[in-house]
Amino acid sequence: MPAGHGVRSRTRDLFARPFRKKGYIPLTTYLRTYKVGDYVDIKVNGAVHKGMPHKFYHGRTGKVWNVTKRAIGVEINKQVGNRIIRKRIHVRVEHVQPSRCAEEIRLRRIKNDKLKAEAKARGEVISTKRQPEGPKPGFMVEGATLETVTPIPYDVVNDLKGGY
Amino acid sequence: MAFVKAQKSKAYFKRFQVKFKRRRAGKTDYRARIRLINQDKNKYNTPKYRFVVRFTNKDITAQIVSASIAGDIVMAAAYAHELPRYGLEVGLTNYAAAYCTGLLLARRVLKMLEMDEEYQGNVEATGEDFSVEPAESRRPFRALLDVGLLRTTTGNRVFGALKGALDGGLDIPHSEKRFAGFKKDDKQLDAEVHRKYIFGGHVASYMRALLEDEPEKYQSHFSEYIKKGIEADDVEEMYKKVHAAIRADPMPVKSTKEPPKEHKRYNLKKLTYEERKAKLVERLNALNSAAGDDEEDDD
Repeated sequence: MPAGHGVRSRTRDLFARPFRKKGYIPLTTYLRTYKVGDYVDIKVNGAVHKGMPHKFYHGRTGKVWNVTKRAIGVEINKQVGNRIIRKRIHVRVEHVQPSRCAEEIRLRRIKNDKLKAEAKARGEVISTKRQPEGPKPGFMVEGATLETVTPIPYDVVNDLKGGY
Repeated sequence: MAFVKAQKSKAYFKRFQVKFKRRRAGKTDYRARIRLINQDKNKYNTPKYRFVVRFTNKDITAQIVSASIAGDIVMAAAYAHELPRYGLEVGLTNYAAAYCTGLLLARRVLKMLEMDEEYQGNVEATGEDFSVEPAESRRPFRALLDVGLLRTTTGNRVFGALKGALDGGLDIPHSEKRFAGFKKDDKQLDAEVHRKYIFGGHVASYMRALLEDEPEKYQSHFSEYIKKGIEADDVEEMYKKVHAAIRADPMPVKSTKEPPKEHKRYNLKKLTYEERKAKLVERLNALNSAAGDDEEDDD
């Protein structure tokens, strides 16, 4: 029999619910709100059959471009041949999670704004750029004793004591 | 899972998936809850209010609740045990009391939102189906009935509370099929019968019947009514007065409670992480100093 390339082919494990997490899905998935421009992760919930994205999009992150009654439009990059296309799909909210990829940038921006405002109040110019970790500083080794190690001739009797 | 020698093996427990906590407690129907709470995504943070009615053996709870990720938020609540304040002291869990509780909640919510002048609702309680008409400035307050785990049969008290809220001025989508007095044969609500139930007419007729046939049972069953001096004919008047009193002043009274007494503790209090660490350090120090002394003695 031929292989079969249906929409849900090869998804036996991908779309399966995790161990001991079957049944009703917790209500926070329904209570979350999404706005256009948010980043979301796509993670298919095999228990809900409507509004499922294709298996390719499982694990991808994209931006929200549309919000409808029960679903969200997400824009995801897909490599097709020699170029990357921005694909727009609609996914039900059960298959979507808010992404934390932009969280670090958002927090850093708030912190930097605060630092800059404080510096401006003091009248100095600061750089809020992140610096990569440099080489470790030099240090003196304390309490070092010198131990000279020399090879000794092989002693058969001594070495067999353990396991003979 | 097949049991081995009528024992639940370790493997059984390893694979067992517990239901949600409130399902295990038998308190929440998640299938219904998902459908009640789900808000259209293109309505973003607009809250969806549920008109929650629950009955216990001696009380009725009516609440307006909205859901959030941190937990449900109760906007307003009305209990049957508040009805003595309005003149209703007996029969606090019957159909008429449910109507009063629903009415109280509706007037309370509308007063909170300052909509009570616009939406008077149905002041004269006839049993007919009444739906609020939208006024000029604001649309009516919309809530969805949440019955919980009740079986929704015709004439259930929860629909008495629903009728109370509707007559109070809330907009709750409903159908008259389950009100008391709906005839399945002609598919019509008999407004007269429903009105009788709203004013406790069914209780009054039972009182009259018992008084004639079984006076001893009447004495035992309606003892509280007799104590308060309420007869079968006074019942309707009483409920009319209660409705008027509710409409006059629906706001709740804050009761002052003294702080609870300190009780003697019968079991040991659990130590915090820091306290346990501190105890360990003490023990080690004591051991070290004792060992130090022993070594000195040995030497």
